[in-house]
Amino acid sequence: MPAVALAAAFVAALTWPTDVPSQLGTPELDPHAFFSGSQIARAGDYAAFTSVNQVLSALVLVAVLVVYARRGTRFMRESAAGRIGTGMLLAMLGLALVWLAELPFGLAQLWWGRRYGVADLGYLEWVVSSWFALSGVFIGVCLTVLIVMAIAAVARQQWWLLAVPAFAAIGLLVAFVSPYLVPNVEPLRDKRIAADARRLERQQGLPRIDVEVQRAKQHTTEINAASAGFGPTRRVILWDTLLEALDRRQVRFVLAHELGHQSRDHILKTIGWSILLAVPSAFLVAVATRRRGGIYRPEAIPLALLVFVVLTIASTPVQNSLSRRFEAEADWVALETTRDPAAARGALVKLGDASLEDPDPPSWAQLFFGTHPSVMDRLEMVEAWRRESGWRRRTRPLAAGGPMD
Amino acid sequence: MALWFSLATLVAIANWIATLISGAPSPMLHRFLSAYVRYVTHVVAYLSLAANPYPGFAGRPGYPIDVEIDPPARQNRWVTGFRLLLAIPAVLLADALVGFGTSAAAGSNVTSGGVLGTVAFLGWFASLARGRMPQGMRDLAAYAIGYSAQVNGYLLLLTDRYPNSDPAIYDSANVFRDDPIRVPVDDDLRRSRLTVFFRLLLATPHFVWFLLWTIAALFAGIANWFATLISGQSPSALHRFLSAYLRYQVHLYAFLQLVANPFPGFVGKPGSYPVDVEIEVEPPGRQNRWVTAFRAPLSIPAFLIASALTTSAYVAAMLGWFYALVRGRVPKGLRNLGAMELRYYAQTAGYFYLLTDRYPYSGPSSGWQLRLNPAPPPGAPQSAYPA
Repeated sequence: MPAVALAAAFVAALTWPTDVPSQLGTPELDPHAFFSGSQIARAGDYAAFTSVNQVLSALVLVAVLVVYARRGTRFMRESAAGRIGTGMLLAMLGLALVWLAELPFGLAQLWWGRRYGVADLGYLEWVVSSWFALSGVFIGVCLTVLIVMAIAAVARQQWWLLAVPAFAAIGLLVAFVSPYLVPNVEPLRDKRIAADARRLERQQGLPRIDVEVQRAKQHTTEINAASAGFGPTRRVILWDTLLEALDRRQVRFVLAHELGHQSRDHILKTIGWSILLAVPSAFLVAVATRRRGGIYRPEAIPLALLVFVVLTIASTPVQNSLSRRFEAEADWVALETTRDPAAARGALVKLGDASLEDPDPPSWAQLFFGTHPSVMDRLEMVEAWRRESGWRRRTRPLAAGGPMD
Repeated sequence: MALWFSLATLVAIANWIATLISGAPSPMLHRFLSAYVRYVTHVVAYLSLAANPYPGFAGRPGYPIDVEIDPPARQNRWVTGFRLLLAIPAVLLADALVGFGTSAAAGSNVTSGGVLGTVAFLGWFASLARGRMPQGMRDLAAYAIGYSAQVNGYLLLLTDRYPNSDPAIYDSANVFRDDPIRVPVDDDLRRSRLTVFFRLLLATPHFVWFLLWTIAALFAGIANWFATLISGQSPSALHRFLSAYLRYQVHLYAFLQLVANPFPGFVGKPGSYPVDVEIEVEPPGRQNRWVTAFRAPLSIPAFLIASALTTSAYVAAMLGWFYALVRGRVPKGLRNLGAMELRYYAQTAGYFYLLTDRYPYSGPSSGWQLRLNPAPPPGAPQSAYPA
């Protein structure tokens, strides 16, 4: 155990620091300087419903799993699949019940998104695609149950020590192949933006990374971009809505942000943190299921599912905090690379407006739902960078790569 | 036939009104419509080679494949009023069994002939070559024609008893056979609504596993073919592997088609599932090398019939899905139709994988009902329909 704790502390110390100066004095900015009163009110209304819906959805999720943990073992009679197969069935049925219970909340969110013009998807289309998406979830959970129960057959109560490295390997594999699993993508055809990407890669010390465009505008008006994969599979994916809504300088900022995730190895660091969190989670699952004979036995699966989900929810603030740190660092890297705060401001305001993001959400909402810094936090960082950069410009020459226009 | 149909349509409307008013069909109209149903049955049996004599035009009883119709009886007025709507599931299933409709209606370019159409097509060649219709094909055709006749009778208000798709109600099913591949059924018809609703998704891990196993089975099958061709019998290890693969396939299909309730295992273990495959060729016996050499082309007719039966079984599964969600059980008729299809598929695949050189028997008699009925006394006829 001390060795595990020591290794965890080492990984945490290695991955927690970022390039964002720790003493950065961010100014207090007024949202009204960037958004109209009606935009702020609209975003606030949208976010309020979304937050309440998410909280209720999480409560229902836990409630369903509590009931399932108590009564789910009765479904064992529906299986002729042996120990591991029955465990798989129980895990899938638990998630199927969760899907059923969460359906109204998903539909409510879709209704709200359609009402605010953020979502274009039809209700039936959403239900059907969500139903089919469950098959991917089932494969994932069955693989998990297979690994855990197979390890438990050998290691019994110590299964969690062996399971964590196995899941780390799977996590790495999934992250590695994930760029190939993104649907509706095509190569970036805009030669000027592609040339910008090449320059930004060089500035951030990256090898050539493919930039792809995902067709999203038939489903949503939101604008977004993502970074996926690592090593030779690295990709940056821009939504077509983003290319239509942002001008070239703003797209360049977004590109630099996404490349920042790659140059600072955020995907690998996130996996590292997931492993760190997985160690105590797996240990607690092992402890909780001992009463039912341990995870070796299929009747422990419903309880394991509940414990795992509760731990995941409980660790959400930690994961979100980590995610916000990495996003802030990517913003910082993008500012350092593009040295174009006006474009950064423009892009962030448009991103916030298109996604109806509350510019300055309450702290509790950020704690549980904020995977990115709030729009105002990001704008304040841009302003802080501008001031810092002005100060640096007076004292020392610019680093390589100035403004590109 | 066209004249009969036109008249029958008018008479059926009159009969519907009469039954709605009086609560029972008029005896005269009932007689006319009974003759019509019999006539259609005779003509279809003749066309599909299920029977040989040229049929009469009046629909009189006495044809080798005939319909027995009860005299007119009182019928529930609500059931009579909504008869057309209530008949839709049965019509869908009859369409899949008899053919010429479902796939075209669904916009498919390939019009499936259904079970009857496929059997008639294959039976035509067999009859030309041998001067007789194979018994299994004839009995299967009789089953499809029988179900279709039940649907017609229900639609035309000759009875208010819902059509029963259970092959075991036909005499031709209750014959004793000693096929080396059998599919015993030990199922109580109960179905869990939750697993029924998510059945397709719950099978997802099986699809992945099945794909992997199929790749291995493909190589094993090729190796088995060479080995059997050279040595005259299948090597035990390959025989066991392919038997387990076949058993797993049937377990999975039974789960998907609601023929059985539990989530199946992944290894095709014998006796582990309510719908199982018994393979009575252990150790593997000697097989004719010529039959082995041409096993793939010889399997084609059986696969054609299996494919048509599978379509019907999936229509039955779809209907059973709705029924099971409401009632928490599946109708015995639909379950047994699925079991019959699985038995035929198991025999066909077993023949193709060289587990046996006995050609699949397409008649409704299956082996799956042998556990439900006592063994026949010594000297019992092999079939109620003498070949």
